[in-house]
Amino acid sequence: MPTSILGPYTRTILTAAAIIGLLLFSFTYARVSVWIDVQPFFEWMETTWFGVIGKTWGAAFAVVEAVHLIGLALLGGSVIVGEGRILGLVLTDVPARTIINRADKVFFWALMTLLATGVFMACGVAMKIYYLPVYWYKMLALGTGILFHFCIRKPLLQRELEKINPWVTKAVAISSLMIWFTVAATGRWIGFSG
Amino acid sequence: MNEKNQNDAQIKDEQTSAILATSTIIIFFAVYWFFQIQSVRELLELAYG
Repeated sequence: MPTSILGPYTRTILTAAAIIGLLLFSFTYARVSVWIDVQPFFEWMETTWFGVIGKTWGAAFAVVEAVHLIGLALLGGSVIVGEGRILGLVLTDVPARTIINRADKVFFWALMTLLATGVFMACGVAMKIYYLPVYWYKMLALGTGILFHFCIRKPLLQRELEKINPWVTKAVAISSLMIWFTVAATGRWIGFSG
Repeated sequence: MNEKNQNDAQIKDEQTSAILATSTIIIFFAVYWFFQIQSVRELLELAYG
């Protein structure tokens, strides 16, 4: 294995940098600056085919939203089953490795479904969501969730579970549940806003 | 032996990064919900005394 320039704690250093970057972005003027800069992109989204179909053909939007919700249900289910097994709350008669691996496959395809349908739906209501603060909270939560899943949770849980401190795996499971429930809640919040 | 040491170091690095990330997330949520609950309590006190 090649030695990293950051030494034996490369992942930890990168994680700390990502956390500091995310917090600085969230709580400084940088967020507002990016928000202003992306306005033309959101205006363009409404002019795309997806945007025109989403705005003018309500049934198409509704069908895509139904698929989006099914994707959310699958993702929520895979998170609850995977993290519930790590916490020792569900399916305790099945090996944790089996549950984690199978839930991870479902999670991946659910996330792909959510992203694909989410882009279509965002095009249909681009300027509405642009002005909704909760949409940006959802994007921050989603970005955090994706980074957490693929950069922290997955590499850690690919190891032999016996070699990992059980408190760390439990903390990972609780954090994962918190993030994905926030993504789901802010998604519903968008529906109640505007 | 060397490979085993490298593997142990990787696991240690992954665990440390997980502790860092999870503690940030859990503390952030605790602070957020503390202020949310406090704000709702104040609103209810204003409304109903």
